[in-house]
Amino acid sequence: MKKIIFIFLILGILSCKERPQQNDPDNQKGKTVEIENATGFSITKFKNYSIIEVNTPWPGAQDPFIYLLKEKDAEIPKNLNFDQLVEVPVENIVVTSTTHIPALEALNEENTLKGFPGLNYISSEKTRKLIDNGEISELGQNENINTEVLIELSPDVVIGFAIDASNKSFETIQKTGIPVIYNGDWTEQSPLGKAEWIKFFGALYGKEKKAQEIFKEIKSEYLAAKELAKTANSKPTIISGSMYNDKWYMPYGNSWQAQFIKDANANYLYSDTKGDGSLSLAFESVLEKAEDAEFWMSSGQFTSYEQLFNESEHYQRFTAVMNKNVYSVSLSQGETGGILYYELGPQRPDLILKDHIAIFHPELLENYELVFYKPLN
Amino acid sequence: MLNQRKYTFSIILLFLAVILTGLFNISLGSVNIPISEVTSSLLGLEVEKDTWRYIIVNYRLPKAITAIITGSGLAVSGLLMQTLFRNPLAGPYVLGLSSGASLGVAIVFMGASVFGASFAVILLSKWSLVIASSLGSLLVLFAVILASIRLRDTMAILIIGLMFASLTAAIVSVLAYFSPASQLQQYVFWSYGSLGDLSWDEVGILSLFWILGILISIGSIKNLNSLLLGEQYARSLGTNIKKNRFAIIIATSLLAGSITAFAGPIAFVGLAVPHLIRQIIPSANHITLVPAVIFGGAILMLLCDIIAQIPGSEYSLPINAITSLIGAPVVIWLLVRKRKFNF
Repeated sequence: MKKIIFIFLILGILSCKERPQQNDPDNQKGKTVEIENATGFSITKFKNYSIIEVNTPWPGAQDPFIYLLKEKDAEIPKNLNFDQLVEVPVENIVVTSTTHIPALEALNEENTLKGFPGLNYISSEKTRKLIDNGEISELGQNENINTEVLIELSPDVVIGFAIDASNKSFETIQKTGIPVIYNGDWTEQSPLGKAEWIKFFGALYGKEKKAQEIFKEIKSEYLAAKELAKTANSKPTIISGSMYNDKWYMPYGNSWQAQFIKDANANYLYSDTKGDGSLSLAFESVLEKAEDAEFWMSSGQFTSYEQLFNESEHYQRFTAVMNKNVYSVSLSQGETGGILYYELGPQRPDLILKDHIAIFHPELLENYELVFYKPLN
Repeated sequence: MLNQRKYTFSIILLFLAVILTGLFNISLGSVNIPISEVTSSLLGLEVEKDTWRYIIVNYRLPKAITAIITGSGLAVSGLLMQTLFRNPLAGPYVLGLSSGASLGVAIVFMGASVFGASFAVILLSKWSLVIASSLGSLLVLFAVILASIRLRDTMAILIIGLMFASLTAAIVSVLAYFSPASQLQQYVFWSYGSLGDLSWDEVGILSLFWILGILISIGSIKNLNSLLLGEQYARSLGTNIKKNRFAIIIATSLLAGSITAFAGPIAFVGLAVPHLIRQIIPSANHITLVPAVIFGGAILMLLCDIIAQIPGSEYSLPINAITSLIGAPVVIWLLVRKRKFNF
């Protein structure tokens, strides 16, 4: 890696000497790309290279990562500091989270995807076709990427994600000269913030404009839906999460899930809680507080009421269950069992919000077909 | 004789303590319910809020009974194993029962990722877990019994149990490696143990196994006493070692196996309670030890459950974290204070 950088620097210096002064890359002024809702990254564009700064690759990260995306044969200033260098536009890519797939598809770049760990999780029909045609390699399971297969693929870039600072397998990949850049979309708390990471992918493909248009469209749809929800005459009470053993795991009031309930003009019973991860609540306290909640937006494994009662008869005490007002994301699955909500949801908060509005205030979206949340059987 | 009277008195005290901690356990929880309402709920009288009645009768009461069953059952199993192997480190799980159970449960939760999606059709109901867990325990049990028929030496059974534990742990880790986070999480939650999600039907079934196991244990008291003198000596007293060993293994399996199936692998209680009781009641006679251990186990489990519920707060902790957190320091303190180890 260092050698490559060194060679680039030497080339840069040599070519600098032959060029007139006004084209000196050191004197280029960067233009900051507008990022409206995401807090985890920034993009600065220069004439023929750009810099992406990812400041929350994982929660509580100390230093930002600086990624230099340079066009082919572009010269870059001698004194630039960066962690990884990627040549753009990217032609072969490996991504590691299903949340990255919708961005590639929206930018019409799904054909550049060459490998993915855990192909069965991918639900999108477009990408599934490519998998069925054998165009995308299986890179192993979960977070354990098969390094050998990846090195053989040698993509232009690997889009990784990290839970914390120890990422042995990505470090190994970087040592082989394949750049790994971290995507922190999952650390964003706001629905629109997550969706805005499409601009991160836009920069990789030189499609910044298209990415901006896509995001603008999603944002305006989202805000319009939010305005529509304000016109509702009722404000139903909502619970979320699900019970394992006798503990109820409930999303915090400042979480991504809770934001949708709020924006859909409904009353999330745990909206005053704050934290990362989920609340672990004693069953009896949930029963006392939320027995009469009107809707239950479940993220659990259940697809039918029968399953629910098999798991625990206590569920029968809840009004939402008795009135058959339980909705789950587990019913929208891809053909190999991946859950669509976890893949497409972060990229399309407008659809999640509309699902919520159609469930809470059916009179506002009459002919709307639910995308992620389906009523239990 | 004088000692025996003292011991009988201690056992009566322990029994009263079970009743008290039981009532205490039912009165405390995340939701603050006035004592008067607790008693009305239990006696079937008029209650101010129906939700309170539901919580007491259908949640806390089965939970308290489960705590009594798991605490006493595991403690007795621990005592049986410690006596059988004459090893103070033995516990209810030395035969590899919980490892077998965890393998069964791991296959239910995580088998789909290894055996293909068709495997996922298995309905993830509570019964499927109970059945899988019991099958896993039974599998290990049969292997142990086969070994015990072939082997003359009791110690060899101990080693075989440990080997099974390693084997199953290895298979579980392979399954875990290939499983998505959500399935892994379910398995992890199961391994935390849980007293509070049993319906009355399940409590009924668990009670049946418990009664059987306890009866066999009580029936083995005389043989347990002779085993303490060593196998050779026991033989000379006319004890049938193999038959005896078989009864003790069956009692332990019924207790530890059913408890693990319904409440998960509850840690520590089975190992610690016999030692706690021996420190309080320094008797080697199982006529004293068996009932004392039954009551002691129930008390410890009820207390751990009270702490795990963190009364008055919405939060609660997994029971397995508490059993060891509370239990281990108590055992250490007792041993250090006594300076003499009764075994």
